[in-house]
Amino acid sequence: MAPYAFSLAFQSLVREKWINLLSVFTIASGLLIISIAFFAAYNIDAATRKLPEKFAMILYLDDAITRDKVDGILGTLRKKSAVAQVRYISKDDAMKELKALLKNANYVFEGLDENPLPDSVEVRLKRDAVTPEQVRKLTEEIAGIKGIKEVDYGEKFLDALHSLKSGVRTVGLAIIVVMAIGIIFVCYSTVKILFYRRTEEIETFKLLGATKFFIRAPFLIEGGVIGVCGGLGSLGSILILNYVVIARLSSAVPLLATLLFPLNLFLLLPLIGLFLGITGAMIAIGRLQY
Amino acid sequence: MISFTNVTKEYENQTALRDITFVVEKGEMAFITGPSGSGKTTLLKLIYSAEKPDEGTISVAGFELDQLKEPSIPMLRRHIGVVFQDFRLLANRNVFDNVAMALRIRNMPEREIKHKVYETLKAVNLRHKADSFPRRLSGGEQQRVVIARAMVADPTVLLADEPTGNLDADTAEGVVRTFKDINARGTTMLIATHNRDLYRNTGRKVIRLEAGTLVSVGQG
Repeated sequence: MAPYAFSLAFQSLVREKWINLLSVFTIASGLLIISIAFFAAYNIDAATRKLPEKFAMILYLDDAITRDKVDGILGTLRKKSAVAQVRYISKDDAMKELKALLKNANYVFEGLDENPLPDSVEVRLKRDAVTPEQVRKLTEEIAGIKGIKEVDYGEKFLDALHSLKSGVRTVGLAIIVVMAIGIIFVCYSTVKILFYRRTEEIETFKLLGATKFFIRAPFLIEGGVIGVCGGLGSLGSILILNYVVIARLSSAVPLLATLLFPLNLFLLLPLIGLFLGITGAMIAIGRLQY
Repeated sequence: MISFTNVTKEYENQTALRDITFVVEKGEMAFITGPSGSGKTTLLKLIYSAEKPDEGTISVAGFELDQLKEPSIPMLRRHIGVVFQDFRLLANRNVFDNVAMALRIRNMPEREIKHKVYETLKAVNLRHKADSFPRRLSGGEQQRVVIARAMVADPTVLLADEPTGNLDADTAEGVVRTFKDINARGTTMLIATHNRDLYRNTGRKVIRLEAGTLVSVGQG
């Protein structure tokens, strides 16, 4: 039975090649859009994933603060569950760091008689605590500690980055869901058309004693093959996009060279196509009355 | 083998068959006759469960059709070979594949299918046309392909709907001869025809219908 179902399916795929090719191109395009959306979301996610390691809050201390009070503040900060690491930076150390940073622009310090920088504390947070809400809450708590003049943590940057991250995730997910439904619908319509074009043949099969499975199996196979071909088409397109287009453009736009290409995930595209194709075919034959 | 008891079939308030009762015994060759529109085709359709009776009971090859669930219909049909009036040959498949289809739906191995199909085509004298497509065949040849497809799986019951309707006298005689050979092997046969020459002086059972009513059950 199985080999004959495959034989019937492939005969139909060849006989109805133009409808099938059109479906394959449509599915390949849909999966390519999904791949690009995923590629964008993956890279933005990867970029923001490194943020917690680099993120730091700077607490500026009162000018006349004593060392005892600084130690007290450091102790209070270390007790906070969100805090991973605390480092005291004296105004002299801060100046040394600034001078090291601006070693090619020493003229900035000319005429500077005294050190204008305040004592400060650098606070690094635990990875899962680096969210706008948690940072804002911690800032409010810290700002209340006596001896702390000001808290700086790049609020706007953190908010923007998280908005971008959640925005890309939402839009990416919406694109993936809409396109996946679209692909299922394409497979559904194709299988339905193929079914109607073979109504006479199917009616004869039934009268000869064919079971529903015998009649349905070739359509499931056709849906699967169309889906896999669409998946292979999209895989080919995304590989060309990455290894030809992006590779060439990255000499002009160096940022493109830093993009991550999750090849092992893209290799799943034919399987995703297979799943969507069979799902569409199953819905189609499930809804047909015969 | 085939038994109708008080069977009635209606289509949109028009009675196609009314209160039909008859029996065709195992191994018997019987004829249903009557003018066009008398209900012959409907009666055959009831036997292979393409239609359901509105009243009465039908028994075919051990299947009680009024109790038959949809998934079991293919099993019933595998006991029945049908020579359709409109042939129902698949135009895009050659003679071999048209006949083989009856075995492929039964999941028979290809090697066995090849042997049985060629043997059956030889029996209807069409072995040399195995690679031809239906449109290339004459009416008589197409009819014999349909007969080959109906008999290739050795059904217990063979139904034929106007099997000589479009054939000349000589070809019709050949078809009847083939039917007699099939019946001689023990296959129960029911042939719907309005051609009296097919059953006259045969001594076979003749069931006569008129306007959906059974008029007589006699001998030809």
